[in-house]
Amino acid sequence: MLLEVTLSGATLGGMYALVALGLTLQYGVARIMNLSYGELLVAAAFAALWFYTGVAVSPLVGLIVVPPLAFALSFGIYRVLLQPLVRRAKTRDALEVDSILATFGLLFVIQGVMLAIFGGAYFSYSFLAVPLQIAGATVAANRLLALVLAVVIGVGLYLGLTRTRIGTAVRAVAVDPVAAELVAIDVRTASALAFALGGALVAASGVLVSMFLTFNANLGVVFTLKALVVVIMGGVGNLLGALIAGLLLGLVENYVAVFVDPGLTLAATYAIFLIVLLVRPQGILGRASR
Amino acid sequence: MLEVAGLSVLYGKHRALDQADLSVGAGEIVVILGANGAGKSSLLRAVAGLLPAAPGAKVMLSGRPLVGLPAHAIVEAGLALVPEGRAIFGDLTVRENLLLGAFARRARGEETRNRARVLALFPRLAERLGQTARTMSGGEQQMVAIGRALMSAPDLLLLDEPSLGLSPLLCSELFRALERIRGDGISVLLVEQNARKSLAVADRGYLIENGRIVGSGRAADLAGDPAVQRAYLGGR
Ligand SMILES: Nc1ncnc2c1ncn2[C@@H]1O[C@H](COP(=O)(O)OP(=O)(O)OP(=O)(O)O)[C@@H](O)[C@H]1O
Ligand SMILES: [Mg+2]
Repeated sequence: MLLEVTLSGATLGGMYALVALGLTLQYGVARIMNLSYGELLVAAAFAALWFYTGVAVSPLVGLIVVPPLAFALSFGIYRVLLQPLVRRAKTRDALEVDSILATFGLLFVIQGVMLAIFGGAYFSYSFLAVPLQIAGATVAANRLLALVLAVVIGVGLYLGLTRTRIGTAVRAVAVDPVAAELVAIDVRTASALAFALGGALVAASGVLVSMFLTFNANLGVVFTLKALVVVIMGGVGNLLGALIAGLLLGLVENYVAVFVDPGLTLAATYAIFLIVLLVRPQGILGRASR
Repeated sequence: MLEVAGLSVLYGKHRALDQADLSVGAGEIVVILGANGAGKSSLLRAVAGLLPAAPGAKVMLSGRPLVGLPAHAIVEAGLALVPEGRAIFGDLTVRENLLLGAFARRARGEETRNRARVLALFPRLAERLGQTARTMSGGEQQMVAIGRALMSAPDLLLLDEPSLGLSPLLCSELFRALERIRGDGISVLLVEQNARKSLAVADRGYLIENGRIVGSGRAADLAGDPAVQRAYLGGR
């Protein structure tokens, strides 16, 4: 029982971690506080649903097709909607405020389109819904697959960002954009790419989520909030922190839902959020101040 | 190598730099001396593309115009700036700082050789490659900053008060390092408060006051000039 709950909590946590990684890229590197972030997750979930139930294409193929589309869409959104804000913002703080307003609007646009197409009903599809036995515990194959894929994507991205020059350059923009220019990094392009990569990541999470969760057009905001919570808990801009905090949140939520009361899940989320902030205001792996 | 003509920098209405002309020849070390607020940093930042130059300015690096290019393109053109305050990547390790120094396409081919050179120039960095740059001493951070700039394989190195906050011993080491850098074929333009030591290694110097270049000459002549001695050498 404990193992079962832990595994399904880890799956949820893996989703949170991926979603938080993407937000870290958008916020940490491009300095866009993207309130429409979770909408892309839901859109990707609907895309996977349509692929599977509409044209009988496996969500695994969706996982290969949808994120590049989200990358292109996010890149376009950045260039068209956000770059003018970047250009006119005098400081990074001003950009943050402007981007909150712009993406708040975007949230309603994307959500509105999805509501118009799908309504408010809940959707799910049955993909690999077969129980697997692991050390006496029963787990749905789709959950386990989602967890494994989340780990692969998360670890791959982490290694890419920490072990390669281009990944290090992306982190350098987050640390100090002026210094980044001084080592020949084109900060404007790097920001657009980081924003787009964040979009691809949240879309990948959306496809994975759709494999085992029921979702509807209103779910985006929940994931945006969870991503924010995880990013702040992990330490803003800290990749490893986001991974750990995401996993932690998924586990705690699932333990509380199963062993205490499903109605207290959200309360648990904010309880550990507050506890982390009280004990380590800079986040689990964040550093004291900047 | 570097030709600057009619370079002005405006902050709103305030003219921080007014029609500056200067040049740096190949293989030269040139120093700019001036009091606080004279416009020295503004000059370097405008040349490096971090600040917009007022219209009419001409900045040429080996015959190539730099005005209007973004800072990252100016690095690709062969000019590296170590700014005031160093601007190293504090959250990243020394190794990552040096790796990023060679981000410029022009630097990739020479990366291994430049890295060996930098580590020979500052052996301390070789011992601290895994250290987070922010946790290093001020002098060590300056080595990271200069090392990172050298990794971009520049033809011209710009340094804004590199000796700031260094002990006299470290300061002398730094100026010796500049001579070795020049020995590797890199020209150097630096801004300094330490007039005595910088004039000792420089070939030529410029004096800047209230945004205007008010004097220039061979370093030895400047060091011997009574007016310069009064203003910058605390002298007699
Ligand atoms: N961002 C800015 N906005 C407005 N004025 C500025 C700005 N930066 C510099 N100045 C002004 O421009 C003038 C020249 O500044 P600059 O930093 O170039 O001087 P400096 O010679 O480097 O001085 P220091 O030796 O103290 O570093 C000063 O009067 C300064 O107050
Ligand atoms: Mg200055």
